[in-house]
Amino acid sequence: MLKAKNRLGIIFFPAYDWAISPTHPERQERLLYTQDQLKEEGVFDIDGIGEYKPEVATVQDVERVHFCFPDVESVCTESHLISAGGAITAAKLVMEKKEDRAFALVRPPGHHAMKVVHGARGFCNINIEAVMVEYIREHYGQKRIAIVDTDCHHGDGSQDIYWNDPNTLYISIHQDGRTLYPGSGFVDEMGGPNAIGKTVNIPLPPQTSDEGFLYVLEKVILPILDDFKPDLIINSAGQDNHYTDPITNMRFSARGYARLNELLRPDIAVLEGGYSIQGALPYVNLGIVLAMAGVDYSHVREPDYNSDAMKQNPVITQYIKKVGQDVLDRYRNSRNFVMRGMPGNYMVRKKPIFYDTDGIRENQVESVMICNECAGILKIESLSSVNPLCLCIEVPLGACDRCRDEGYRILKEGKQKNIYAYIQLINRRDREYLRF
Amino acid sequence: MLLGLDVGGTHTDVVIIDKTGIVATDKVKTNHNDLLETVNRGIENAVKNVNRDDIERVNLSTTLSTNAIVEGKTENVAVLVSAGPGVDPANYRLGEYYYSITGSIDHRGTEILPLNTKETDSALKAAKKAGCKVYAAITKFSTRNPAQENRLCEKIGSAADFITPGHMLSGRLSFPRRVATAYYNSAVWRQFNAFAESVEKSINGFGIKANLNILKADGGTMPLAVSKGLPVESILSGPAASVMGIIALCQVTRDSVLLDIGGTTTDIAIFASGAPIIEPDGISLNSAATLVRALRTKSIGIGGDSVLRVRDGGVVSVGPDRLGPSLADGGAAVALTDAFNFMKIDSHGDVNASAAGIAGLAKNNGMKPNDLAKKAIDCAVGAICDAVRRLVDEINMKPVYTIHELLEGKKVAPEQVYVMGGPAKAFSKRLADALRLPVNVPQNYAVANAIGAALARTTMYIELLADTEKGRMIIPDIGVSRDIPAGYSLEEAEADAKKYLLGHMKKTDVADRHIHAEILDSASFNMVQGYDTTGRNIRVRCQVKPGVLHEYNDVLRNLC
Repeated sequence: MLKAKNRLGIIFFPAYDWAISPTHPERQERLLYTQDQLKEEGVFDIDGIGEYKPEVATVQDVERVHFCFPDVESVCTESHLISAGGAITAAKLVMEKKEDRAFALVRPPGHHAMKVVHGARGFCNINIEAVMVEYIREHYGQKRIAIVDTDCHHGDGSQDIYWNDPNTLYISIHQDGRTLYPGSGFVDEMGGPNAIGKTVNIPLPPQTSDEGFLYVLEKVILPILDDFKPDLIINSAGQDNHYTDPITNMRFSARGYARLNELLRPDIAVLEGGYSIQGALPYVNLGIVLAMAGVDYSHVREPDYNSDAMKQNPVITQYIKKVGQDVLDRYRNSRNFVMRGMPGNYMVRKKPIFYDTDGIRENQVESVMICNECAGILKIESLSSVNPLCLCIEVPLGACDRCRDEGYRILKEGKQKNIYAYIQLINRRDREYLRF
Repeated sequence: MLLGLDVGGTHTDVVIIDKTGIVATDKVKTNHNDLLETVNRGIENAVKNVNRDDIERVNLSTTLSTNAIVEGKTENVAVLVSAGPGVDPANYRLGEYYYSITGSIDHRGTEILPLNTKETDSALKAAKKAGCKVYAAITKFSTRNPAQENRLCEKIGSAADFITPGHMLSGRLSFPRRVATAYYNSAVWRQFNAFAESVEKSINGFGIKANLNILKADGGTMPLAVSKGLPVESILSGPAASVMGIIALCQVTRDSVLLDIGGTTTDIAIFASGAPIIEPDGISLNSAATLVRALRTKSIGIGGDSVLRVRDGGVVSVGPDRLGPSLADGGAAVALTDAFNFMKIDSHGDVNASAAGIAGLAKNNGMKPNDLAKKAIDCAVGAICDAVRRLVDEINMKPVYTIHELLEGKKVAPEQVYVMGGPAKAFSKRLADALRLPVNVPQNYAVANAIGAALARTTMYIELLADTEKGRMIIPDIGVSRDIPAGYSLEEAEADAKKYLLGHMKKTDVADRHIHAEILDSASFNMVQGYDTTGRNIRVRCQVKPGVLHEYNDVLRNLC
């Protein structure tokens, strides 16, 4: 009888009654064949693999992370709360040691959802990994957490949420932003002033094969993880790097995904994108499940896989090596970063954001206080085509007294100004969540 | 009139029921070396004063297949598998004659790689040389497209006395379970058929002209003709017979718990709105998971003979083992029954022996005998209650796949407890207090299993899959495969599922004229390529659920 080396909990929730629209890639059919494949392979009968039902995330779970306008209920539906709840269930299984690892095979995805939410972008409304990570920190203590995002699209939402957090290392490998949505994730995007180097972007050229992905993993990602020493590794397991994916241009295979997972050894994996629902998902998910459980996956193979046709062009190989070296150098040099200004001053950046799924435009002014003691008080002013001017204030987990007091000063000032339609304060330090 | 026969591990129970109630019952010891002799003896006693012409249906629950498998006394099977990519099929090897052949079918039933002819031929040659006369042929996704399994069967041809093609066992997916189920089906085929035929002859010998039906683990029956091709469906039908008996005796209609407390174990079953809950995937036997549908039951090591122990600090434990009978029954170790006797809750067997035993054990551990007995009973009741709660939780935590079911899905919340078995009465008040639920101890529980067997109706379960892009609809379990138009709808699929299911049951000669087929669930998925809808993938699961024969519904009132 087959036995898993690592006990694995799978939260499988295909939401067979939910779609963005009938022919949208994010539709009812998306995980149908994955379920067929996992069932036919008898995955849930393997000793050490268990299937779990997701819980439903609460509004508080979402408000711990996001500034939703006008409110949480308006920007996300039950399907999003279940998807985030599935990720939370995965985290609980691992944190409470019921399982060694967990895989939330849930939809819809979340990694394009940013700190401020006015609607859906890149098929995402709320960031399910971030909701999970902050649930972990709220209930199991402040942890150093690494998120490795292997979706083909740059996880600009996750990057935005963790831009200023020195305790979260966000690494994304994705197809180069010059060739694919959302058009971001370049090597110089390295995090805010209090978390420089804690955002790592590795843009890969179109037609990168198994060889290129695994090279980057072994030579770039694993050394950075060794240096960061996370308490937990989370894989945002998007599956659209697959050579059959209809909306991307990469050449990654199911066995490649499995190998990547075997090397990365994530504690928790959460499904992100991946829209080749017949040709890729059944095989990629099977490969990931077997690799996470420590069961032999060497017989996993797509019906149409042709290793010769998937061979990587040497020019691409050279290019990837160069990108990898650049990323490593930047990561190592980030600790010498001195250009960030004096503590107590604000670093300000302006961001225009487009919500492609809902067709919303937003403009943000994000200010973060430079601080040597904590992640720094965060203030965002946001104006969008669906909501008037809003004010967001976040007192981070482990905030110093100065940053906390500054947060309440901004709140008071914001109320007096009387120009904000909505004001929301997230105080993680004292667990105070306010809305006006 | 119905005749129910339950061949159990120690006893064989026979009951004859007509529309007014129980007509005759009998209990004989099971002779494991000659089950036919046991059956003959049982029937002979029971039919003495009965007009045999009136018997219209004989239902038999037998341990024959189960025992053969558990004891490893089965025939060699040549197993031919073709798995394609995925988990290495070597992991599912059963028996010595297991051959893996290259070939592949994908999840939509498309043939990706044809069966390797050379490998097939050499496997068949090896199996023949080894003297295998029964075969099993299983290919991955054969329930989506049985072509490769059928080709294997053709190739095996007359070399086999019997072949089990995997897709005929069930429409459900699970290649490993299909391998195990097909293997066991072929392994017990010869023994089961020899037995079934001799039982049939013996019944005829008694002048009974009724149809013979075989009880299944899901609490339903299958006609003898069906059982000859699916002997594996007869495994582990014993617990199901008891559960069906309680339904008949107690007219269970609400969410309820059934506890069958024996000497060694307590078996727990749960009812949802009066219907027993089915194991979602299939029952396990000899640690191999199968596709055999079964009632969901759970067994824990608490019974009347469970041994009492006292650890340091006066912690009392009960079971999970037994060291022979209790003192009350002439055994050597202090057991749970003795505690009940001491507390005067029960007065079973040698009450004085119980009292002396409890007093002695208490003295050795510096306890008051009263405390010891009370703690033992609390411990046993606690263990049963914990197991009941865990089972109910597990049932309620069963994964679901739609938002509607997740948010609105029905949860099982027991409102009633039924307790049967030797120590049932002694336990009833304690269990009622601990579970805070009304507890009922039915009369006649001694032959509940045979009553359940007698009254069980024929059940069946099928899965229909339609792919309008391919223009095919298949129901693998009953060999239906036909072309469908592009406009084939979910409603048509549901109607077809019922039609083919009932049609198949009528063909195999079912006496019950009020069969009701219900749709368990159904769904239709738009299949999209690029930005165009190319067809619909429709799935329907349909069953005739376990229950009491409709024509005998009225008899139930007379049994309690």
